[in-house]
Amino acid sequence: MKIVTRQVTDKPLTVTIEYPELTESVKGLVKRIEKLDVSFSASSDDKQMRIALSDVYYLENVDRKVFLYTKGDVFRLDSSMADIEKAAEDSDLVRISRTCIMNTMHLTGIRQLKNSHLEAELDNGEKLIVSRKYLRDIKRRF
Amino acid sequence: MPVRKILKDTCILAALMILAVFTCSIIWSGLTAEITLVLSLFLLALIITVVNFLFDEFLSLSILVSYILKYFVFTGIVMLFGFIAGWFFPSNFWMAFIYVGIVLALAFAIDAFRVNRDIGYINEHIRSNKSQSQNRADLT
Repeated sequence: MKIVTRQVTDKPLTVTIEYPELTESVKGLVKRIEKLDVSFSASSDDKQMRIALSDVYYLENVDRKVFLYTKGDVFRLDSSMADIEKAAEDSDLVRISRTCIMNTMHLTGIRQLKNSHLEAELDNGEKLIVSRKYLRDIKRRF
Repeated sequence: MPVRKILKDTCILAALMILAVFTCSIIWSGLTAEITLVLSLFLLALIITVVNFLFDEFLSLSILVSYILKYFVFTGIVMLFGFIAGWFFPSNFWMAFIYVGIVLALAFAIDAFRVNRDIGYINEHIRSNKSQSQNRADLT
């Protein structure tokens, strides 16, 4: 399989699959890509917008309210953490603690701190605490 | 890892065999002292597993503090359970500290090793994914 990527400005993200024959593996590939096309309905300052999964850095449950963090913004979500996990099944989202779901797409590394807590670093420099219990779930994503 | 899966499946199968054999024994000959002991151990294991789950789910402590806290809590549970089940004489209840200590020391060593191995695995894959996408970007 040959993978070709190219930057095309002024167009939304488009995935084109060329195949000699529509086999089960091609259908599987399409299904997997479709699963990646998840977005969340979020609000910020009374404005509703859709946030693509690739823009999500992490989601956090604070006082029973779910917040979605992108590279530099924070949005409020109406869904519960369980709903999010269900919607983003087989995606790059993974639970890292009881209150936090992280997008492994933006993960740059995990390290153990001196007090043996685990810390995940994202590509925007943000650091999140990882519960040891969920480390194996993160491992399964790679 | 096949070795781990075989060991895990062996333990589950052994537990099922014990339960099946003992169920038949209870039906034929009622509760004997041996059967009561094994069922008590199953009950104790269930209580400890539930408490351990709650610990991991609701407390975010460092690995060492978490194991020290678990040591005292689990020892307390074993002692209380042991007194109720009549396992300990008043003079040897401190043996619970040794039993729990041995099990937790092993669990701590395995946990610490596994965490380090998993962190290494994840970081290695992040590095290799990054270099792969870098190569793809260079090609296009």
